[in-house]
Amino acid sequence: MPLPQCSRGTGGLSADELLALGDGAIAALAHGEAEVIIADTRSELTRFAGNEIHQSVAERSRHIRVRLIDGGRTGVGEVRGHDDRAIALAFAAAEDSRRVTSTSDVSPLPAPTPGDRDDPVAFAEATAAATPQERAELVSIITEAAAAHRVNAYGALSATTTTTAIITSAGLRRSATSTQASLVSVARGDDGGGYASRHSADIDALDVAGLAAEVVDTCERNQGATAVDPGDYEVVLSPYAVTDLLEHLAWVGFSALAVQEHRSFMRIGEQLMSGSITIRDDARTPDVFPFPFDDEGVSTQPVTLIDRGVCRAVVYDTPTALQDGVTSTGHSLPQPNTWGPLPRHVAMDAGDTPWHEMIGSVSRGLYITRFWYVRDVHPLRTVITGMTREGTFLIENGSITRPVKDLRFTQSIIEALAGVVQVSRERRLELGEGESGVLSPWLHIGRFSFTS
Amino acid sequence: MRDLSQRALDAASAAGASYADCRVINRTVQRITVKNGVVASVELFEDEGVGIRVIAGGAWGFAGVDDLSAESVEETARHAVRIAKASSRVNRTPVHLAPAPALVGEYRTPFGRDPFEVSLDNKVDLLMRTDEAMSHLPQIRVRECSLEFVREQRHFASSEGAALDQTIIESGGGLDATATSDDEVQTRSFPNSFGRHQVCSGWEAIEAFDLPGNAGRIAEEAVALLTAAQCPAGRMTVILDATQAALQVHESCGHPTELDRVLGHEAAYAGTSFLTPDLLGTFRYGSEHVTMTADSTRAPGLGTFGWDDEGVAAQRSVLVDQGIFTGYLSSRETAAALGQVSNGTMRADGWARLPIIRMTNINLEPGTSSLEEMIATTEHGVYLETNRSWSIDDRRLNFQFGTQNGWEIVDGKRTRLVRNPLYSGQTPEFWGSCDAVAGPAEWHMFGVVNCGKGQPPQSMHVGHGAAPCRFRNVRVEPAG
Repeated sequence: MPLPQCSRGTGGLSADELLALGDGAIAALAHGEAEVIIADTRSELTRFAGNEIHQSVAERSRHIRVRLIDGGRTGVGEVRGHDDRAIALAFAAAEDSRRVTSTSDVSPLPAPTPGDRDDPVAFAEATAAATPQERAELVSIITEAAAAHRVNAYGALSATTTTTAIITSAGLRRSATSTQASLVSVARGDDGGGYASRHSADIDALDVAGLAAEVVDTCERNQGATAVDPGDYEVVLSPYAVTDLLEHLAWVGFSALAVQEHRSFMRIGEQLMSGSITIRDDARTPDVFPFPFDDEGVSTQPVTLIDRGVCRAVVYDTPTALQDGVTSTGHSLPQPNTWGPLPRHVAMDAGDTPWHEMIGSVSRGLYITRFWYVRDVHPLRTVITGMTREGTFLIENGSITRPVKDLRFTQSIIEALAGVVQVSRERRLELGEGESGVLSPWLHIGRFSFTS
Repeated sequence: MRDLSQRALDAASAAGASYADCRVINRTVQRITVKNGVVASVELFEDEGVGIRVIAGGAWGFAGVDDLSAESVEETARHAVRIAKASSRVNRTPVHLAPAPALVGEYRTPFGRDPFEVSLDNKVDLLMRTDEAMSHLPQIRVRECSLEFVREQRHFASSEGAALDQTIIESGGGLDATATSDDEVQTRSFPNSFGRHQVCSGWEAIEAFDLPGNAGRIAEEAVALLTAAQCPAGRMTVILDATQAALQVHESCGHPTELDRVLGHEAAYAGTSFLTPDLLGTFRYGSEHVTMTADSTRAPGLGTFGWDDEGVAAQRSVLVDQGIFTGYLSSRETAAALGQVSNGTMRADGWARLPIIRMTNINLEPGTSSLEEMIATTEHGVYLETNRSWSIDDRRLNFQFGTQNGWEIVDGKRTRLVRNPLYSGQTPEFWGSCDAVAGPAEWHMFGVVNCGKGQPPQSMHVGHGAAPCRFRNVRVEPAG
């Protein structure tokens, strides 16, 4: 028997049915205010190693989160389960926690805003309907390409469908069904490897053949790497590597809470980066998994964070907006929380240089395919450390001449972005370590510091 | 639960599975956070579901669902078989499992007082007193403290006849004090960084932490760091406190001894390992002072259990014996690849995730020295406390760590506080330079609650027993 079907493929309830479920719970509220978030998720993933599928998994779940506000106290209950009692359990847990919290300036539930629209949303029927057999066939395109070149492919292909509904006693009702298909691959030869990835709402839009060609090509060019001395190098960073820089900027500095707590590098109005750098968060652009609202149900507004190198704005949720006397930009995580708002649709504007021409303008430097295990060393100064991985190449006199062994870098992101020489015309959508989509170009940077 | 798991196993078998196992998990998590004098959140999280793993056509399949109706569970079992059969069409090599006895039993991690029986009011009161103790310094911009309690009931059954029930109880707590000035931000944490220190224990662990009694001192240390001298740079002796030693063990011994990494199963994400099978039994990983074990019987570490998530009994095994690399963390499938049997390290992040090889309690065994003796016999170096940043390459060789606190040591004495310390090195050279490990009196079990691995991502709670230890000729520098 196939899984129970719904209109948009989570195997659970439709968006309208989830809204009705939340409506019923809100209607039963005896006193106080309440917010109900319900997310039905169906996620499947096929993982491969050594040109064979070694793990293939599926998950179907419902996550219910209830926030209760009454008498100046807020409580939260969360339940994962399809049981009929799940919502009641979540309400009971929320009331238990509400009872013991201290009375404080409770962040109010946002009211619905005229003109709120539950689109655009990243969704494709093909992703929602993808079968294990179809995933295996897509994976085999990569494993066969790798085998034909006598290298081994590793990686994962995932297809996820999520229906989210937010219903509050303040009259807010939002819902959306989204999909995400992600394919990442590493190819390894006897003495080196390559990396490539593709991401889209639509599994049929993944350029699997292009990925296979890219990952095998990088792997073959990255055999027999030799060491270069650590030190400062001119670099060309691929979008995979640039994504790490943008994600860490978002984590440490683009939040209003980080500014309010004096933890952020952002000094509004000050030029900290090259004039060629503009960074935005735009949840409506079709390029970065569009989604219409945040975890408070507030419509997510486009925000220009860095405008031609100048710190322009940070993102807000309701509590931080109240603190600064502004309106939320719709970047809240589930409330209440201690992390603050977060941009989750970050994109760097494209430049005008074809990326392959960047290499031609470097006399001696490094081409970096990707970074690995990037961690904040000094958040206020945006200093991060990490390793290069699966494709580090020496550039000499405008050409890539040989692969080099992986290096550790320790570098201030804003200093690196202050030294940008060129921004590529092309951009790629990549998932950061935090799983948010980031749209990144190639960057030619004048100086980047490698420490070992 | 047993009826449900039997239905799952029967459905998988009827659909063509040659092997199946089933885990029914019920998990309750309670989290309380106080920030800047206000109860920022009290969260209660209930999670229940079933994960079914099968072999069909020689390939693995896995499916999980949180709808525990009989119809849903049976359909999930059949879906796992469909997944396996889809994979088998691509694969050439059938899965082979090392033999393991089909065990039946019950287990509960030891605890004194069930933390879920302690009232929420008491927990909030403890955190409010902790917050108050940090509030006397204006430079402290952010005060945050939290408690977390976990109760997980696990039922495991397999088509080979295993039937295992266990209950795991965890208690955790911690505090962070963040001080700011115009050009600096410094955070100090207690008892460990990244939110909390967590163990498989009851409320008595929280009382032993004494968060209110340590909060004032920690806040003062954060303020002192604002104006402390930058950490000196150069090659020097490094002494790690036990918390940082625990993370060093985690990254440079725990991960590279995971046999699935060695065999390439994690090559696309977490990476591989420099500890290849040809090195087993002969490779000098560290000095004679370095012995490391995997021990899932050693409560209160977060890797303590009765059986792992494929039904293999908890056990102790030696990974590094007086400096020589001697063993891996393994599963039934990966052990078979080396002609061995599993040493019981398959663990899953809840019912929705496939078990993969994870650390249990990976311990640096105590030595015979002491922190006092190590400092007294150091001419010039730094004593480093509490992790702040961590990074290591995908083969687990090239690492760099930062800590919150540093103390410069000159002529056998701890002298001045230094800020932003970083140290870096290569794993075998670093552990090879270890010339002292403190003894049992300074050896403690710590928890890591954010160990990431796998696709889809899994976050695991693992334990590390460690004591202060000393390393010679290490590269040290300031961050920022």
